[in-house]
Amino acid sequence: MFKKVLWLALCTSALGAQAAELRVLTHSSFALSKELLAGFEQQSGVKVVVIKAGDAGEMVNKLILTRANPIADVVYGIDNTLLGKAQQAGVLEPTASPAGAAVKQTLPGMVSVDYGYVTLNYDKAWFARQKLALPTSLDELTRPAYKNLVVVENPATSSPGLAFLLATVKGLGEEPAFAWWGKLRDNGVKVAKGWSEAYYTDFSKNGGSRPIVVSYATSPAAEVFYSKEKLAEAPTGNLLLKGGVFQQVEGVALVKGGGQKQAAQQFVDFLRSGAVQADLPTQMWMYPVLPGVKLNPVFALAQQPTAHDTPDSRAIAAKSAGWVSRWTRVVLKSGY
Amino acid sequence: MRAVFSRQALALLPLAFLTLMALAPLARLLYEGGSGFSANLFQDDYLRWRLLWSLTQAVVTCVLALAIGLPLAWVLTRFAFPGRALILRLLLLPFVMPTLVAALGVLALFGPHGVTGLNLQDTPWLLLYGNLFYNLPLVIRAASEALASVPASRLAAARTLGCTAWRAFWRVEWPVARPWLASALCLVFLYCFSGFGLALLLGGQRYATVEVEIYSLVAYELNLADAGALALLLLCLSGGVAFGYAWLERRLATPGKVEPLPPRPAVTLAERTLLAGALALLALFAAAPLLAVAGRALSAGVEAWAVLGEGDTLAALANTLRFSALALTLAAVLGLAHALAAQRWLWLRAAAFLPFVLSPVCVAFGLLLLYPGWSASLTLLLGAYALLAYPFVTKSVAAALDGVPPQWPQAARTLGASAPRAFVRVVWPLLQPAFRRGLAFAAATALGEFAVTLFLSRPEWTTLTTLIYQRLGRPGAANLDAALVLSSVLMLFAVSAFVIIEWPGRPAKDSDHA
Repeated sequence: MFKKVLWLALCTSALGAQAAELRVLTHSSFALSKELLAGFEQQSGVKVVVIKAGDAGEMVNKLILTRANPIADVVYGIDNTLLGKAQQAGVLEPTASPAGAAVKQTLPGMVSVDYGYVTLNYDKAWFARQKLALPTSLDELTRPAYKNLVVVENPATSSPGLAFLLATVKGLGEEPAFAWWGKLRDNGVKVAKGWSEAYYTDFSKNGGSRPIVVSYATSPAAEVFYSKEKLAEAPTGNLLLKGGVFQQVEGVALVKGGGQKQAAQQFVDFLRSGAVQADLPTQMWMYPVLPGVKLNPVFALAQQPTAHDTPDSRAIAAKSAGWVSRWTRVVLKSGY
Repeated sequence: MRAVFSRQALALLPLAFLTLMALAPLARLLYEGGSGFSANLFQDDYLRWRLLWSLTQAVVTCVLALAIGLPLAWVLTRFAFPGRALILRLLLLPFVMPTLVAALGVLALFGPHGVTGLNLQDTPWLLLYGNLFYNLPLVIRAASEALASVPASRLAAARTLGCTAWRAFWRVEWPVARPWLASALCLVFLYCFSGFGLALLLGGQRYATVEVEIYSLVAYELNLADAGALALLLLCLSGGVAFGYAWLERRLATPGKVEPLPPRPAVTLAERTLLAGALALLALFAAAPLLAVAGRALSAGVEAWAVLGEGDTLAALANTLRFSALALTLAAVLGLAHALAAQRWLWLRAAAFLPFVLSPVCVAFGLLLLYPGWSASLTLLLGAYALLAYPFVTKSVAAALDGVPPQWPQAARTLGASAPRAFVRVVWPLLQPAFRRGLAFAAATALGEFAVTLFLSRPEWTTLTTLIYQRLGRPGAANLDAALVLSSVLMLFAVSAFVIIEWPGRPAKDSDHA
């Protein structure tokens, strides 16, 4: 039985190597309807091999480490927090956007696919129960009334954690931002390793005690979409505060030194096609960059931010490592 | 002489594997990083605090696991009760649970909305509880096997000569159990010291281990020089522990023919109380979080269980089965070869711990650097599974080999059996129970996929564990319910695997190979 399985595995991998393959590197949150991908394979005549490389930050580093022998032909999921780093390392091929309508968001040197916002979510039931007013500024979160209520992700190990830190730096200014983080630490902020840990073990909506969590602006809509009984209203809401909203734009690009250039460009165009743009909102919970795409009605239940504090990708590339180590010093290291 | 030669040749297989899958990738990563690590890396108070904290919690967990685990194991081994064999197998279940799911189970009991009404979140108690959840079963299993190998005649002699049960324990049972306990505690220490474990998840980033620092340096900052320096520091510290253990184990080994003491029913009130107390403790530490997960899954309703019919779930089940079977085959071969060869050399015995003491994130990135063309191949993924799983087989078989009286195979040789024949007919039947035990641990590791998220993966390779992580990567009650249902399925799957692997459930009797 073992031999058979081994033999099968060997055969399939040998067969797979013969057909023309397009290697697509993505982060672990990538999801798209199977029929769409199958349709693309049929149309282009190549087999799409999706390779998931962990969180987006991890993925970019894997791409940089293997630049001498690229592990993929196309990369999807690099966003404005990582673009500068990827470009400085020279792992991306300048990629042309498909001709056609203007899109809502762009990424210099890459083809934008979707966008979203990292922001604070709050547990509506918790605030109603405690009869506590919602904070109206980041500063209020450092007051005694909001002690031990916030959980954030570590920017050194989590993409939304990093995005939120960047928003505070841009929104409050560098020095005031770190002073604010110091006060937030004194007010009992909890730091989780990643989004899943924060959302499912610390957020009061699930297992934890903290009614405010760093998450995405579409999360309330997803809560309704994935609820058990039909909800008329989202159980969580967005807390859109000055300095607490980051706009994330994700894109796709060809990998420098990768093969299958033509198919790769076709794949780029495919991600911008109407069908994919309509599919991705409820798959990856991001907004499509193509205007005029009809969204699932649940998106109306999540307030879309109208303002955000997002540093440009060049500033992020130059300074984010320094900001993260300063954040670690202020929030995690002080007192040791 | 020929036997010695062939045993040396056996060492080549695990050594080649370790070199290709662990040492070379680490060396490649260190080379890439160069020697330019920051000089003030080790001056950092925070890093020192973390090291100290990692050491402290590992030691405290070891002490607690021994203090609770040994008496528990004694009761479970000495008293017969219905379901005893099954409970000993189920002890491996915590090993299989993804840490995030285990944390959900723990919080369902002792969280802000926990059923016990006792909120321990963000207290040190919850950290220790989490550590014990994963590590207590290791100690209980080892101690129970050790106590089962105490010769009944020796115990009877001690009691006849007037020893109390307490004194007999210290004079007869404790010396036999020591090497087994040393081995288990060494593993517990290594897991707690360098792990990403549950303690971290329950305690928040304040209690991060140094391994988390390495992860952040490699995966986020691409600071390979600092990461490499830290990884080497950890390697030296935990490598020392592994070496000490290997020496201790060999020194303490006592080969001898064993007629184990059969467990007897608890008769007196005191004995029954003891048994009930032990089972209650076991339920509290090892079973409660798992039951909480299963309970939440059951109460999630029919819609949540519909996830079982989905194509993705079925594919993930098939993959889990396929990958574990392949990884186990590899682990069996490597583990046996390593154990047989390691009898001669102490360093080789210690080398079996290498996969536990190397920083997983460094190995994962090193593999990527070393074999970019193979990085998204199934071969490499299965190799990684086998790397983490096979030392359990080695450990278990090596310990059993120490217990084989050397005269027995010698007698077989004198009577004209060839060396392979003497091994198959005399030694192997004695090793088989240990081999199966090791294999059960290996299966638990392969199913739990401790470091799986560090490697490149493809959607068509999704296993149950990765599917659970995917579900917990999205908001919404339905996703949480699906993750809990899938975790329950994973538990069922693991239980059947353990029961099959350790099937007959009784150590091979001497008469089996007459």
